[in-house]
Amino acid sequence: MAGRFFPAALMARRNLTRTKMRSLLASLGIVIGVVAIASLGMFGVALQYSFTQNLGDVGNQLTVYPNSGENITELTERDIRAIRREASPTATVSPVKTRVEPVSYNREDAVRETIYGIDNPGELYTAKEGRVSPFRTGALVGSDVAEEHDLHPGSQITVNGTNVRIRAVLEEGDPFSSTNPDNRVIMPAASFSQRGYSEVYITESTGTRANETAMGIRDSLNEREQRVFVQELGSIVDTIEQQFQIINTVLAGIASISLLVAGISILNVMLMSTVERREEIGVLRAVGYQKRDVLKVMLMEATLLGFLGGIAGVILSVGAGLAINHYAVGDAMAVFRLPNAWYVGAAFTFGVLTSIVSGLYPAWKAASEEPVDALRG
Amino acid sequence: MTVIDAQGLVKRYRTGGQTLYALAGIDFALESGEFVSIMGPSGSGKTTLLNILGLLDTPTEGTVLLEGQDVTGLGDRKRTSLRKRTIGFVFQHFYLLPTLTAVENVEVPLLLDSDPEVTKRARTLLERLGLGDRLDHKPDELSGGQKQRVAIARSLINSPKVVLADEPTGNLDSETGRQILDEFRRIADEDDVAIVAVTHDDLVNEYVDRTVHLVDGTIGRERKNGG
Repeated sequence: MAGRFFPAALMARRNLTRTKMRSLLASLGIVIGVVAIASLGMFGVALQYSFTQNLGDVGNQLTVYPNSGENITELTERDIRAIRREASPTATVSPVKTRVEPVSYNREDAVRETIYGIDNPGELYTAKEGRVSPFRTGALVGSDVAEEHDLHPGSQITVNGTNVRIRAVLEEGDPFSSTNPDNRVIMPAASFSQRGYSEVYITESTGTRANETAMGIRDSLNEREQRVFVQELGSIVDTIEQQFQIINTVLAGIASISLLVAGISILNVMLMSTVERREEIGVLRAVGYQKRDVLKVMLMEATLLGFLGGIAGVILSVGAGLAINHYAVGDAMAVFRLPNAWYVGAAFTFGVLTSIVSGLYPAWKAASEEPVDALRG
Repeated sequence: MTVIDAQGLVKRYRTGGQTLYALAGIDFALESGEFVSIMGPSGSGKTTLLNILGLLDTPTEGTVLLEGQDVTGLGDRKRTSLRKRTIGFVFQHFYLLPTLTAVENVEVPLLLDSDPEVTKRARTLLERLGLGDRLDHKPDELSGGQKQRVAIARSLINSPKVVLADEPTGNLDSETGRQILDEFRRIADEDDVAIVAVTHDDLVNEYVDRTVHLVDGTIGRERKNGG
């Protein structure tokens, strides 16, 4: 008999079975609270995860812009050399020129579009159709442009009155990357008349390297005046992840309101129970139970309610997590990742704690009643 | 041997501007193996006296000696552990825990001690009281007399020096009441346990060694039985 070792648990368990429906409803509150916290937490994690998946590896990308605020409109060859010095040897440095030209697709009216000039697009892009390298004439288009105007390798577009042949349609890029080619028309930089560059893309092997390079570029180019801006996608990702963290915390906070309600319902159930069992508790005190013994038995009941609800809540939460991850991430098994375990564990702990805290007052009330008063009936 | 010796017990209550005397100076001594009944009308202070003797309550004035030790001014914790060691209680309404079996109910006073011998002792006590075939029954499967026997077994589980009974036959028919009183008599004689029963029931007086009559918080005539 397990009660041999946990006599208080034996009495508590029997007492809960006395009013099964009531105990069940009380711990149902805890179940709902635990499921709410855990599944909202896991929902946030899944959201964050699918977001990071979309981001891919933009964390190692840098973009350098001229500081137009200081009247610097383009980067010179000297700037590019300085940037190449700062970047690590394995990095790809792609200077980009831009100009705005009237572009006409399929003999439609010309619209003004930004044309990007890159010398070595093979470093940045791969072709979906056609070939990227070598790139001396013609144009490359992003997949969205190609789809909108039904362009394929060999199609012709008109740029500033000149016919240009499409060499390749590019593979889709990361939606958050500043190198994303999907909406762009790219032509060889050699075909541009201006000498300066409007931005430089740097791809490092890791996010840490990217960060070091960013600092190096700022040090060497911005020494005397604020010549350039360096945008680190990694830091944007960090900011966005912080936002997600805040959203998660708020969601969990909202969910914990349901635990508060559950706690009140346990408080209510326990108070009713102490009133109903007033004489029994008086007898316990009479036959030699100390106040803290009574406290122990009553708190054990609250704890059992919390455990019951908590365990059921955890089981349901894992079920809910499987569904959330199946739909949000496309991989139900992603529920078994560490942050989820953290949320489920925290929800369970809060559930049990809530019921113990709710049990404190009724237990204290039961324990501090004078046996003489309780037994007077 | 004197188990309980109470001298000059006074219990005063203040309600509003009035002072109420539940006990107005009572001397009461109890020898081991003695079976005593306390009788008196409602409000005569019977239950108050029983509560004070059982260390559930403290007197306003006077002293209580339990086995020669002065227990008058003890705090709740010490009184509680003394109750656990030396006193057994039997109530009119039995007050068994409805969720526990007969054996478990008898074990209740010592349940938190996790002493493996307690269960054996509880069974023996119940068998002695004729409930050998009801050991694992819940209270709602027992008759009134059987419930009171379980309660008596419970009061004996800690091998007390004194058993205090509040209207032990109050909820029983006279036939069952007699059986219960027989048990008390036997316990007093065989186990050398002192028993005090507060009662309205004249039947009790056929079994006791003496009867104390309380009137308005003082001791009226005392009658010795047999001799």
